[in-house]
Amino acid sequence: MEEKRSNSAGGVGGMALFALIGFVGALVVGWGIFPKMLYSQKTQPIRFSHTVHTQLGIECEQCHHLGPDGRFAGLPSTESCAECHGEETGDTSANGKEIDKFVKDYVKTGRQVPWLVYQYQPDNVFFSHAAHKGFECTKCHLDVAKTDTPPPYYENRLSGYSKDTMKMWECERCHASMGTSNACFVCHK
Amino acid sequence: MGLDRRAFLGLVAGGTVGAMFTPIPWKLIDDASIWTQNWPWIPRVPKGQVDYVATTSKLCPAGEGLKIMRVAGNPILAGGNPSHPLSCGGVSALARSEVYMLYSPARIKSPMKRNGKTFAPITWEQALVEMAEKLGAAKGAVASISGDNTGTINEVLTALTAKLGSAGSFMMPSEATTAAKAMKLMGAQGQAGYDFENADTVLVLGADIFETWGTSSRNRKAFGANRPAGAKPANSYVYVGPTRNNTAAVCDQWVPAAAADLGVVALGIAWHLLKAGATSNAPGFDTFKAVVNGGFGPEDVKRATGVAPETLAAIAKALASAKAPLVVTGSPFGQGLGAAPVIAGMSLNMLLGRINKPGGVYMLPELPSVVPGALTRAAMLDGDLPAFLKGVESGKTPAPKALLIYDANPAYGLPEAATMAKALEKIPFKVSFSSFMDETAALCDLVLPNSLPLERYDDVATPYGSGFCVYSLVRPIQKPICDTKTTGDVLLGLARKLSIDLKFDNFQQVIKEKVASLAKVSGGFVAKDVMPWQVAAGKPAPALVGGDLWKALEAGYAWTMVGQAAQTSMGFAAEVLAKAVKAGKPATATVLAPYAQLRTGTPVTGMPCQDLTTVPDTELLGDTTFIRVNSETAKALGLKKGQMIKLSGAGVDCQAKVHIFESVMPGMVSAPLGFGHTAFDYYSQGKGANYLSLAAVVEEAGSGLSMWIAPEVKIA
Repeated sequence: MEEKRSNSAGGVGGMALFALIGFVGALVVGWGIFPKMLYSQKTQPIRFSHTVHTQLGIECEQCHHLGPDGRFAGLPSTESCAECHGEETGDTSANGKEIDKFVKDYVKTGRQVPWLVYQYQPDNVFFSHAAHKGFECTKCHLDVAKTDTPPPYYENRLSGYSKDTMKMWECERCHASMGTSNACFVCHK
Repeated sequence: MGLDRRAFLGLVAGGTVGAMFTPIPWKLIDDASIWTQNWPWIPRVPKGQVDYVATTSKLCPAGEGLKIMRVAGNPILAGGNPSHPLSCGGVSALARSEVYMLYSPARIKSPMKRNGKTFAPITWEQALVEMAEKLGAAKGAVASISGDNTGTINEVLTALTAKLGSAGSFMMPSEATTAAKAMKLMGAQGQAGYDFENADTVLVLGADIFETWGTSSRNRKAFGANRPAGAKPANSYVYVGPTRNNTAAVCDQWVPAAAADLGVVALGIAWHLLKAGATSNAPGFDTFKAVVNGGFGPEDVKRATGVAPETLAAIAKALASAKAPLVVTGSPFGQGLGAAPVIAGMSLNMLLGRINKPGGVYMLPELPSVVPGALTRAAMLDGDLPAFLKGVESGKTPAPKALLIYDANPAYGLPEAATMAKALEKIPFKVSFSSFMDETAALCDLVLPNSLPLERYDDVATPYGSGFCVYSLVRPIQKPICDTKTTGDVLLGLARKLSIDLKFDNFQQVIKEKVASLAKVSGGFVAKDVMPWQVAAGKPAPALVGGDLWKALEAGYAWTMVGQAAQTSMGFAAEVLAKAVKAGKPATATVLAPYAQLRTGTPVTGMPCQDLTTVPDTELLGDTTFIRVNSETAKALGLKKGQMIKLSGAGVDCQAKVHIFESVMPGMVSAPLGFGHTAFDYYSQGKGANYLSLAAVVEEAGSGLSMWIAPEVKIA
């Protein structure tokens, strides 16, 4: 009988309190801990300084340009970078060491740098940069032009995609606002 | 206040409700759905820098220039090269498969030696030793077969065969072999080239010019260039043949006529031209005139072919009144035509004064040879391989002791395939240089795989049908994927082992010498800003800037020349026409009218696996191919749609289903070629029947050439 009373006495208030604790706890886990668990943080193989290059007056399009067929060339190849960074500098500054690391590991070995691309789309998406060239790059991409160290790359442990990969609803929202077709075949060939 | 049951339930309920206001359930569902698309066996699109490199298609007989798209150095896609005169940006289904074929399951991955009924891998050195020993013992009785009509490799192959003591060097029969025989009988010099770009009225007799005849990609571009969308066409095309094939379907007019009657139709048109006053100074004109007037009047032609007199008269009138008429003759399925129809068609060009004229037929000189002792192309084309193999099979011709087979699949790609295979079995030592395990390679003692065109140096010199001399480079854009070698290198290595001097150490040297010799040819230029048909029409040919030809070829441009082999004795060969072309009674038996398509590959390539998906269900369903008859023929033969039937001819039976198709003329059974392989891979093997095996080879009267243009078949 005593136990029954105890239950009924603290019952509703206690239950509400624990429900509140559960509710708040779930919010903390869901918004605070879950994202950190879902994504693994990775750093770029070379600490490429966009700041240094933009300060030299290099335009984005000099390295990230459209090909003659309208196809986006994406990232520059090791050979393109080696046009300026073909030899080790021996410079002991942080930037100099990074350049030498690039030359030693990639230029001398003829390998391509396995850059972690923040916004690769899945293979089943046909995205044409040529069709979107009227937009500022930063409308969709991270504004890396002002970074001395590339931002961390967050990889979704479950899907394998970057955290910054644009989702389909984002594409659709922009298309709808621009009055552009959202038909399947526009992006999925 | 402890965590009792009610508190626990409250905690869970609160947590659950709270979770609904967080990304956890929604994000997990979304990511899980994406995760299900990430199975490791799904091929990934490679990432990396995209670039394009130029080369030329060698798998496709049309010889188009290609732009190969690469991602991070890996070839991904083959497309047409807009700067190349045989492509102009166009590409055939077969040329497009050049990249895919690199990974074909049918590729031979290393040299192999027959071990009983199977093959065992050997090293290249072992293969060379074995070959040197066997060929050394076979001296004086070594034969070779090539399926490559355009490569300088033929010079190496025939020179080596000659030094070993040739029992014959043969080309696989094609439009080129037939045309070469016809030109020889007419006393003509050079290879007939057709200037579609400058022609305004084109009569096509049988030749499937937009699919399998000659430079088909270029032909399509030339056709389209003068027929801009929405504007009045600047040219007109008439097709004469047994089916409304891919060529007839886009021509202005289709005139149904059996393939066996193409010569009759041509001479029927000649009758009208002669009546209108056409004449010629060429040798044999008077005899020709007598032959035509004696048996090819409108009623004769109507009785023999069913072509109405007014149709013939209209065609003749259109040709006679055109500024630049052109007549093209060929086989509706790319082979088997006799020489006489080609002579008859060429006679029309002569009556119209179209030899060596813009928009007409250019007699193209052969490009200089660089390997000492090699056969000329004309000499190679002069051989009659089906006749040779039939002779070997019957014992009338001594079997060679050794046979070298390059880029050819005679056990599948010749008529009477069973007879040809028996002949091959009589030859004690056979070497195949095929890249794929085809039907012929499966019969050979040694199989020494050639690297594929994207992995080797090679060349394409004036494919048959081109209206101008043209030379383009095939160059390696990646290392061989398998343990394969360029056959040219293997043959030159073999020659060294046998102490035979062929002047060169490797095949790249041969190609470089060829290019160097072209740089010296007067009138040659790189087609870049000016195309050869523009030069033919009167534009000055640009000068060839010396020294850079190799670089220009590597960049994908072609060396070209508007050539005109001088004609001193080109005549009508009327005596051949008199014997071979007869306006007799129409055939009463059911006649096979095969058709070929580049999407089903060639005997050498098998069916490109990616192209298999483009074959419609009305052509191949499951493992059964369809033959096509029109409703009139179906009614006469008692056939119904979808009915399984048996076709018999040349001692062979083939299964097929019936497809009712009104684009086939009455009395004809149209059947697709390229199916029914017993070798290659899953994508080719056992898919339908090889209807070419139903065709019996007959000797053409007057020329002696083997032909199988209109085989009769029985249906049960």
